[in-house]
Amino acid sequence: MLTLLRGNIKRLTELSLLTAAALIIFVVELQIPNPFPIPGVKLGLANIITVYTAYRYKAGETAAVLMIRILLGSIFGGNITALIYSLAGGLLSLGGLLVFRKFIDEKHLWISSVFSSVLHNTGQIVAAIIILQTPQIIMYYPFLLLSGCLAGAFTGLCAQVVVLRLKK
Amino acid sequence: MKYKILTFICVILALAGALGSYFVLTSPEKTRVNIISDGKLVRTIDLSNHSDEQFDIRYRGRTNTIEVKDGKIRVKEADCRDHTCVKTGWLRSSAMPIVCLPNHLVIEFAGEEGGVDALAW
Repeated sequence: MLTLLRGNIKRLTELSLLTAAALIIFVVELQIPNPFPIPGVKLGLANIITVYTAYRYKAGETAAVLMIRILLGSIFGGNITALIYSLAGGLLSLGGLLVFRKFIDEKHLWISSVFSSVLHNTGQIVAAIIILQTPQIIMYYPFLLLSGCLAGAFTGLCAQVVVLRLKK
Repeated sequence: MKYKILTFICVILALAGALGSYFVLTSPEKTRVNIISDGKLVRTIDLSNHSDEQFDIRYRGRTNTIEVKDGKIRVKEADCRDHTCVKTGWLRSSAMPIVCLPNHLVIEFAGEEGGVDALAW
């Protein structure tokens, strides 16, 4: 990470700010009561930053921002057991996002966000099935699919607005 | 054009999720039974619309005969030593699965396992 950014203090500062912003959004979102009793269903507002970073920075930089946010987020959020699910979902959606950004332009950024959100939920559910050895968890998948599409579209639209405005 | 297709895929995903959720929510509770042999799910039976049937589950040459009748399920015969599974009788509650330890067989209601949520998320 340091070698990646050597001599580029401006970039390092920008990425730190993005990570901090994502972390704040993540912690604040934890305080919002979740009306849905299904684990894994949430807005994931912090991913506005993730998607924005993916469309503005290099792959390694995006990965760093996301990983640090997930690690610190699970520590601040006080839910270390959720870390492995976040990581599984995070890595899969990050991989997807880095592919999608190649052929989906900024004006349709929300589509990338929907796909990577669905990938995120897929990663989570696969991790849960493997860790808990309970294939029945797949019953949650339709709910996660729907909520992933909606939340992904929302966070994607937010990121899209930010990307297009900051470009000016 | 490309984006129309991609948008269409998004809509399809959301609709698939909505439909799936609908089916999961409307499927009657506690009628689906899983038969697990040696840790692997070998069969799922929906007791609410399953015709009467009798079949064998084999594990390392030993056999449990399972009977489905009138929307209930039980182990009718077993060639193990203790016959705990046979004595358990018809499957009644998700808290009390039919288990045959010597033959590594479990028959239980499919559904959410208690405590998974709190543990996992």
